[in-house]
Amino acid sequence: MNTGRFFLVLAGLVLLSLSAGSVWAQAEKIKIPVAAPFTGPLASFGEGIKNGALLKEDEINASGGINGRMVEIVLADELCDPQEAAAVATRFAHDPQVVIVIGHLCSSATLAALPIYKEAGLPAITPASTNPEIGRLSSYYFRNVYRDDFQGDFLAAYAEKVKKFKKVAIFYEVNDYALGLKDAFTKAAEKLGLRIVGAESYMAKTADFKAQLSKFKMLRPDAVFIAGYAPQATLIISQARSLGLKCAFFGADGLDDAVLLKNPDAEGLFVTTPFLADQGGARVNDFVEHYREKFSLEPNWFAANTYDAVGMAAAAIAAVGLDRGKVRAWLAGVSSPEKAYQGITGATYFDENGDCLKAALVKMIRDGRWVSAGEQLR
Amino acid sequence: MPTTLLEQSSLFLQQFVNGMTLGSIYALIAVGYTMVYGVIQLINFAHGEIYMLGAFLSFSLVSGFFGVGLPFVLAVTIAVLVCALAGVLLDLVAYRPLRRSPRLAALITAIGMSIFLQNLALLIWGGQIRSFPRAVIPVFLFAPALQFGEVVVSWLQVVILLTAVILMVVLQLIVHYTRLGRAMRAIAQDQTAAALMGVNVDRVVSYTFALGSGLGGVAGILVGLYYNAVYPTMGYLAGIKAFAAAVLGGIGSIPGAILGGGILGLAEVFGAGYISSSYGDGIAYAIMILVILVKPAGLFGRPSSNKLYRG
Repeated sequence: MNTGRFFLVLAGLVLLSLSAGSVWAQAEKIKIPVAAPFTGPLASFGEGIKNGALLKEDEINASGGINGRMVEIVLADELCDPQEAAAVATRFAHDPQVVIVIGHLCSSATLAALPIYKEAGLPAITPASTNPEIGRLSSYYFRNVYRDDFQGDFLAAYAEKVKKFKKVAIFYEVNDYALGLKDAFTKAAEKLGLRIVGAESYMAKTADFKAQLSKFKMLRPDAVFIAGYAPQATLIISQARSLGLKCAFFGADGLDDAVLLKNPDAEGLFVTTPFLADQGGARVNDFVEHYREKFSLEPNWFAANTYDAVGMAAAAIAAVGLDRGKVRAWLAGVSSPEKAYQGITGATYFDENGDCLKAALVKMIRDGRWVSAGEQLR
Repeated sequence: MPTTLLEQSSLFLQQFVNGMTLGSIYALIAVGYTMVYGVIQLINFAHGEIYMLGAFLSFSLVSGFFGVGLPFVLAVTIAVLVCALAGVLLDLVAYRPLRRSPRLAALITAIGMSIFLQNLALLIWGGQIRSFPRAVIPVFLFAPALQFGEVVVSWLQVVILLTAVILMVVLQLIVHYTRLGRAMRAIAQDQTAAALMGVNVDRVVSYTFALGSGLGGVAGILVGLYYNAVYPTMGYLAGIKAFAAAVLGGIGSIPGAILGGGILGLAEVFGAGYISSSYGDGIAYAIMILVILVKPAGLFGRPSSNKLYRG
């Protein structure tokens, strides 16, 4: 009995010292937090973010880390929920080891976290939030993705010039991302002479879109623009078809998800995306190859943008060290094409708001697969 | 907006069909609330989760989520039976031990069970929206059954309406013309007296849960097919709406639940279609509140006497 207890205590002590050792070793690593939805309905978007970050982490650590120190990606799940995002942001803001955050994915989540980072003087790069307001609201927020006003303009031009649509109806979700898109698209369409014959909204929680779609059917649009996210879009398209709505459907980067590939009704859908694997050079091919090797998946734009965002964060820390203010200043200094960060998604440099200008590309579903649209608009 | 009279009227007709479909689904769920309330005066807030379970079970059995894919009809039958069993189990585990406790205790337990079941589903099936694979569903369901002008009624809508009507008729027959039904009505009037007359109260309550949960399961399957979307939180909103429908019709009254479901479904669709698409739900609830203000016991509810199965 007694010897047994002695060994138990000994084993406990050994375990304790081991775990203490590993904590100490972890303190040596440079933490880079990545916040996005990793569970819940938008988990498949978050998966791209996670994988892109982990791939970059591997590469940085394989080449000796940042000035000799290893990097550790810390994942924080916020479910694309503004409340959760604010909670996660507060945790980072109070962690002295954190000097930069990569995230969030959804614009509503980013806008909820933004004032918290701003107050804490903590710089952040979002690889995916496209709402136009983000850059203007904080000098600590940067993004390596285009804005919705650009994306909305681009989509309107593509719909009018390439697709030759005359009448379009808009179906938008009530959130910061979709509202920004809808407004930009509407403005651009008016200038181009593309008629908006109807605009209806929906809530993310519902699964019944038939009331609004029945209205659209009577308006006989050439196409319906779905401003929102993929989980609802796939339901919308199926319900529209069951009502006999035969027009085309298109959307923005929020629809860029594999869930639509499983839906035979979504054949022909086209979407904008910031990244196409077959439209890049040798570095992109390397990235795609490594990504496939590590995750047995095709990389999407979330992965590519996050890969570059983590790369920029690492470059900033390598140049100025672990200091929030200096990291922000370094990022703000990346302000012209000559100083741009050269990543797999092209050259990234920021304007005075921390926004960047990047090309939009178009892809569509053909035979249940995403393919680059034959005609791109540049 | 559509301009001609023909377009206007076909839009109205289409919305009516959409609303009736939605309404019959609400009615199927609402009946489960109202039956349980009638018998033991408990608002079973976990009922929406039984509906969600029906959708998930049929999806899983049909798509081979658990390893084997079953034929559609068999999968649906099993799913409904398991839902009925789950309802009985729910009562056995969570409510029966509290039968003599204050009502509030059982109500809070019901809310707890609702959260528990939702998270259990999240654990088993994950958070993303699941869709029935197209190959396993009878194809005709998605074909239009009726088409006049611009109005399309799909076979699925016809099946939903017919299923709801048939089940409601069967339920009324059970309640009014069988021994079980008579026992249920007796318990609703006076539990103690019924027990003294030799009614096995616990067993009748179990049957009530089985019936109500089976109907909830059917509703879940129909909705899963209709929207082709199955997800862990689907029971919450549908449960609240069906509860509102039951209250609107007068909780405890089966015909009231049917009428309440129909009104709520139509109000939601017409609200979204004619007033504002973001406020479809709001308009449905506003109607409920108005009815309750005028008739506090609901459309078919009588405030004085106790409860079940009139009309």
